[in-house]
Amino acid sequence: MIQRLAILWVLLGGPVFAAEFTQADRDWWAFQPVRQAAMPTEGGGWAVNAIDHFIARKLTVHELSPAPAADRRTLIRRVCLDLTGLPPAPEQITSFLDDDSPDAYEKLIDRLLDSPRYGERQATLWLDLVRYADSDGYKSDHYRPEAWRYRDYVIRSFNTNKPYDRFVREQLAGDEIDPGNRDALIATMFLRHWIYEYNQRDVETQWRDILADVTNVTGDVLLGMGLQCARCHDHKFDPIPQRDYYRIQAFFAPLLPRDSMPVGTVPQRSKFFRKHKAWAAATGDIRRQLDAIEQPALLKNTTGEGFGKFIDKIKTMIRKRPEDRTAYQRQIAELSERQFGVEPAKLPERLMGASKAEWERLRSELKEFEAQKPRPLPQVKFVVSDAGPVAPATRIPKKGDVVEPGFLSILDPGPARITPPQAALQSTGRRTALAWWITDPDNPLMSRVMVNRLWQQHFGRGLAANTSDFGKLGEPPTHPELLDWLAARFVADGWSLKKMHRLIVTSATYRQASTNEQSERADPANTWFARAPIRRLGAEQVRDGLLAVSGELDLESGGEGVAADKSNRRSVYRKVMRNSPNEVMHTFDMPDHISHMPQRNVTTTATQSLLLLNSEWTRQRAAALAKRLAKRHPGNAGAKIVDAHELAFGQAPLPSQLNDALAFLDACGAANKPPGLAALTEYCHVLMNANAFLYVD
Amino acid sequence: MNVRAPVADELFSRRELLLRGGAGFGALALSGLLARDNALAKAARPSFVQPHFAPRAKRVIFLFMEGGPSHIDLFDPKPLLNKLAGQRMPQSFKRPITAMGETESPLLASPRTWKRHGQSGAWVSDWLPHTAGCVDDLAVIRSCWTNGINHSGGVCQMNTGQPLAGRPCLGSWVNYGLGTENENLPAFVVMTDTKSTPTNGPRNWSAGFMPAAYQGIRLNQGAEPFRHLNTPKGVTPETHRRKLELLRRLNERHRATRGHQSELEARIRSYELAYRMQAAAPEAVDLSRETEATRQLYGFGNKDTEPFGRCCLLARRMVERGVRFVQIYHGAGSKWDSHSKMEANHSRQCLQSDLPTAGLLKDLKSRGLLEETLVIWGGEFGRTPMSEKGDGRDHNPTGFTMWMAGGGVRGGQVIGATDELGLWATKDRLHVHDLHATVLHLLGIHNLDLIYHYKGRPENPTINEGEAYKEITMG
Repeated sequence: MIQRLAILWVLLGGPVFAAEFTQADRDWWAFQPVRQAAMPTEGGGWAVNAIDHFIARKLTVHELSPAPAADRRTLIRRVCLDLTGLPPAPEQITSFLDDDSPDAYEKLIDRLLDSPRYGERQATLWLDLVRYADSDGYKSDHYRPEAWRYRDYVIRSFNTNKPYDRFVREQLAGDEIDPGNRDALIATMFLRHWIYEYNQRDVETQWRDILADVTNVTGDVLLGMGLQCARCHDHKFDPIPQRDYYRIQAFFAPLLPRDSMPVGTVPQRSKFFRKHKAWAAATGDIRRQLDAIEQPALLKNTTGEGFGKFIDKIKTMIRKRPEDRTAYQRQIAELSERQFGVEPAKLPERLMGASKAEWERLRSELKEFEAQKPRPLPQVKFVVSDAGPVAPATRIPKKGDVVEPGFLSILDPGPARITPPQAALQSTGRRTALAWWITDPDNPLMSRVMVNRLWQQHFGRGLAANTSDFGKLGEPPTHPELLDWLAARFVADGWSLKKMHRLIVTSATYRQASTNEQSERADPANTWFARAPIRRLGAEQVRDGLLAVSGELDLESGGEGVAADKSNRRSVYRKVMRNSPNEVMHTFDMPDHISHMPQRNVTTTATQSLLLLNSEWTRQRAAALAKRLAKRHPGNAGAKIVDAHELAFGQAPLPSQLNDALAFLDACGAANKPPGLAALTEYCHVLMNANAFLYVD
Repeated sequence: MNVRAPVADELFSRRELLLRGGAGFGALALSGLLARDNALAKAARPSFVQPHFAPRAKRVIFLFMEGGPSHIDLFDPKPLLNKLAGQRMPQSFKRPITAMGETESPLLASPRTWKRHGQSGAWVSDWLPHTAGCVDDLAVIRSCWTNGINHSGGVCQMNTGQPLAGRPCLGSWVNYGLGTENENLPAFVVMTDTKSTPTNGPRNWSAGFMPAAYQGIRLNQGAEPFRHLNTPKGVTPETHRRKLELLRRLNERHRATRGHQSELEARIRSYELAYRMQAAAPEAVDLSRETEATRQLYGFGNKDTEPFGRCCLLARRMVERGVRFVQIYHGAGSKWDSHSKMEANHSRQCLQSDLPTAGLLKDLKSRGLLEETLVIWGGEFGRTPMSEKGDGRDHNPTGFTMWMAGGGVRGGQVIGATDELGLWATKDRLHVHDLHATVLHLLGIHNLDLIYHYKGRPENPTINEGEAYKEITMG
């Protein structure tokens, strides 16, 4: 009996997986449950919150002392740029400096987290992760007129502090979980941001690449695991067999890109579904006969790329009536049909003789059922659903084995338990199962991955340095207990991102100054966080910052994207055209938004210097700042210089800098005509090139 | 060479070297990255500074014939094609998926006159009389193949190794691996023969997931060779100098209070470099210094040949000055694409490109530069033996021709073969990965050992595939 059970177990696949992994695989830190260790006692007197005790313990071990606290001007510039992406205005600085209350800083943080600017800033980081763009990529780089709704959804979600687990579930399976909520449907655009070639005749390969993209980005963003190595072979370093890649891909196998998707609660959808089904049954014969007449005429005269360029296999799928197609046929046929159009309006002129008479008769017969047809529900565009309640098979390439949906088997070797949703949704429920597994508090990856990203945002480097690879190619965390403590706290706080930001930026660790001679000498890489990092502004911060300093920044929120070089709105609202990035932002290391980007490159190039020094765009900002200063302080050169420093650097000028500036204005004023504004423009232009503007510490 | 984690000393010394010893576009970026911390420095650091082995070539000029030149009308004659012209391709030929679905259209004859040329006796058609004169310098590779069936995927793959966007291009890998020999000019320069943008735009010379410092920099014709090189109108040289001086003082003060921050130093240096570039670049692109004979060689004075000729001559001046990788798009914007009216299209494209191409080879040779300069010619794919729209040809990614010359390549050889109609590469098939591996091999780089860590994953230029065709060298 036991033997039989064992054989059954083998057949079910359990031990097959078990045998694949070594003890070292199982012991890998990232796969261990999140453990909330006791708070260390070190750091008394310095520590503000738990973070500091964990940091202090490592500082003690490495015989380091924390840097002194940063001065208030430095701190407000740092935290404003971190939380809102914008430098503080002089008025903000003054009110913070003038606030003597002991919780002045905490109040500042609350103001920043409540500001709509917070969501805009956080969204830029998220959009990098999900390779968000407003265009297809490839040759024509067609504009995607609906994509911006996802960007606004992200901003809205951050600003309303939507619990992170819900945010994630909506993006993976909003159509199944909350089909009556337009926002939840827009969220599924997460599964639409892949590059797409509108005239790719090798449709099946393109579809495979799309499924791979969706699988990879899910692993990168939510699991912090680089899955794509396992697309072609077992992962060489991490315990991710090729089978696991396709187990995860199988959750997405039924996916159907939708350009029109009903918004309706389950009861609304069910009502529609019942009525539609009845109408379809009553009219089945008529419509079949109509199709037989219409389809050849429609496919004979197609627009766009045309029907004729596909291979026979694809043509056969397209010719199948939608209700007769399998899920896979529907996916491929609908993807192919995007390449051409048909002209039903021209059928009256294209049909002849007997068939035309028959067609007209059938049409009027069909019309009699019009009243039975349900009224269409409101629609949302550029989202996804499943292709039907039955998923197409997922096979491992070359091997051909059919794979059922499942998670990373090192964490959960069995098949996924999938509950099919209501029939009206015509969906498999697979993505819902994935969404709940990923957001399960017992999944050790998602909470760790996200708090580590937030840490990276505020300290320039994650506690685990490779924020999207917790595998063996990444670096193990420098502070594993702290990482776990934060992950557990994040979940306990209801996955509140604002609470986590607040915790981090109110810590003494965050509030340190950037100079600490001992730490610079003994720990040049700042592994133990005994000082604040000095960081260059990101691409959005450079562009938005220059516009803010010059007084031109347009803070209108939301809506369709704008061309960044023709608008003064925040960079997050620009049209992200993959093949023609904005020059300023591209030069400052904006990623290409073709694939997931967990950590931007930071380069220092002559190209950047030339752009800041010589481009028309930067000079216009300098001219605007000069005008702004002239208006604020008419006739008073000293006050202009002080204000310019405060605007650009958040600091008052030193006496020597004030003298330098006055001397510069004199010399340039004499050399330039007209003096005054021209000289002031040149001065402002210099400030906009300065490291005190480009870096934050 | 294995990838190994850098030790602190090594990082420091390299950083010092870069800062003190002068650093070009790429190296400066590197120094900035090195300063951040060890974990990230690992990601940014090339796995080597020197080539893996003695290089044959030190520089590359890639002449990209964009749109897909027809190999069966230029370098790969197919008598059977003319015999079966007007008929469907025999069933014995496997059908590929083609961009326009032209698998069953009648075969289109090649009306060219073919001759063997040079001592090697390699075949070249009458569309390329000048290139034919240089055939003994060429290794003609008739067995190239690729995956991208459309222009976008094809051009992307010929540049980056895969049809899907997102990876660094070959020029970026070379820049990353070998750096520059002239700190006042970019290491990787891109030109186009017209104002049109090539398919995919600047993405073709982008560094993909690598730092932007490794990307190609566009060299423009006219008063401003590199973008934003010139001081804005209305800013006198004296004001410009005064501004740089004030900036230097601000930055020095900023740095002085911040300990040892090499990124801040690097930024200060980047302004010095920009200033030096402003001086060096105009000289590098000043074609008035060339003799009339040289200008003639490149087809100056003829409206058909001069645009591409200018690019070729600039390319020579660039490699002379130590630029590592030059890419020129001829027919930018898919002009070689000939779905119809093949005769008119290729007559024009060949007329424009043939003489300057040969001029470049002769000029490099006479100056002794060809030995160390690898010249590559080719498009993103070839064209089908099947006709399209009666007098054109569809895209053919499954078999096409490219050639390489100089840089240690043994001239006068023909490598590989396609089938009897020129549809599929059959003998010594060289995938784009193999072609890239071959280019890297000539530069002294082993393709699988040039590593960049992206998201923690070790990436190499040919995506774990590709084998150099080592027989291409002099032996």
